[in-house]
Amino acid sequence: MATDRLIDIFALMAQHEREDPHGMSLCEVAAEITELSGAGIAITSSGENMTRLCTSNRLAGVLMNLEITVGEGPGTDASNSGLAVDEQNLDLSENSRWVIYAPRALAAGAQAVFGFPVRIGAVRFGSLSLFRDEPGPLSELQSSDAYLMASVIARAVLAMQAGALRGGLSGELEGQSNFDFSVHQAAGMVAVQGSMTVKDALVMLRAHAFATNKDLSTLAASVVSRRTHFDQGVGTWTEEKVGP
Amino acid sequence: MARESLLIATLVELADNLVDNYDVIDVLTVLSDRCVETIDVDAAGVMLASPGGELQFVASSSESMRVLELFQIQADEGPCVDCYRSGEAIVNYDLTEHDDRWPLFTPRALAQGFRAVHSLPMRLRGRTIGALNLFRTHQGPLGVDDVAAAQGLADVATIAILQHQSSLDSRALNEQLSNALNSRIIIEQAKGMISQATNCDMDEAFGRLRAHARNHNEGLTGVATRIVEGKLATNEVDFPLPPKLTK
Repeated sequence: MATDRLIDIFALMAQHEREDPHGMSLCEVAAEITELSGAGIAITSSGENMTRLCTSNRLAGVLMNLEITVGEGPGTDASNSGLAVDEQNLDLSENSRWVIYAPRALAAGAQAVFGFPVRIGAVRFGSLSLFRDEPGPLSELQSSDAYLMASVIARAVLAMQAGALRGGLSGELEGQSNFDFSVHQAAGMVAVQGSMTVKDALVMLRAHAFATNKDLSTLAASVVSRRTHFDQGVGTWTEEKVGP
Repeated sequence: MARESLLIATLVELADNLVDNYDVIDVLTVLSDRCVETIDVDAAGVMLASPGGELQFVASSSESMRVLELFQIQADEGPCVDCYRSGEAIVNYDLTEHDDRWPLFTPRALAQGFRAVHSLPMRLRGRTIGALNLFRTHQGPLGVDDVAAAQGLADVATIAILQHQSSLDSRALNEQLSNALNSRIIIEQAKGMISQATNCDMDEAFGRLRAHARNHNEGLTGVATRIVEGKLATNEVDFPLPPKLTK
């Protein structure tokens, strides 16, 4: 059930993709849909190192560099804890959890910062950070949009890690359900079949769906019913013939 | 036990569960189980709305694929979707009366042997956050008492979502909903791992997760997370005790 808001997000993504097929528009879309001053997306690689995926503007870029340099901030906390982070007034946070980050972020022009985990189940991809040049909380709509955006980003990052092109992300994600239980079960199964992490299994599944021009749900259902499996010995997928 | 006694026992059990640092999926699964025991229905489950308004399955009295499928379809259409959108209960909906209200859902539900469905809204201060879904294999209306009992259980489910949040702030609610839905994904990932590693089906895998959580006084989500992160080996997950012999 693609809700109206999800349709808005995909329409905005498609518009950016048409204007710049090689660009990374997710941060612009996040900032525009939430009507905030800026947005940044960081990817967590192995060893919990953060790298920048994209930032929506100069301020977001400065804050992202700062956070990566000093190793603390809303994205770091959201990614590590798996929980949303809310700092509505950096100026008042004398006892801030971020001793180095907070004064520098203020000096750069941010008054309020928010962090959201980008994840699929127990698999952590990174974080979405949002900033505003005025203090205050997120509105109800901004809050639900931020969570929705974080779930879209998780699927976009997965698709890109599986080889999807930046210019076609909105098309890839549209029509896909965020919660198809067979996809998550299949990821767990393939992780065991290939002795790999569930994150790698998700990427492998997505990539195999692309390569064989299958729908991810169809492939996942085939894995769950044990008709398709990942053969670790030869590093390839095997498909059983159905029926006698 | 008489129905009233069962209901009271259920409410006491749930109140007991809601005190500590409880696991939302665990509590909602218990609630779904008790629905089947106390109300004249054959399967029950809870769907929650994501902060973006998409309905997603979180807990059920049965983890069998045939029942999960009926919740999966309801990401798009079905009694829960209608109930969630309108905020109104759907009671005693007879699936055998042919109509095209739910062209995907109805034939699948009938094929699984269900004849009637009910869906009760989970409402909180004017905001509908999900729906409790009840399935029956036989026809005939659910009594007024049954409906009242079911709505009471749906209200308890709503309280469970708030998970020791003193404020009913909409942003805090978004966080709880988002975490509950993500917990369910973690559980599915762990079920897949257990199922593959020990060659069992998905409901057995869920039974083992639940048994392990109970035996070690851990949350379901915590156990599942440790499995997915490789901190708990699938062969170390407990098995449920054999069912008690009852008279």
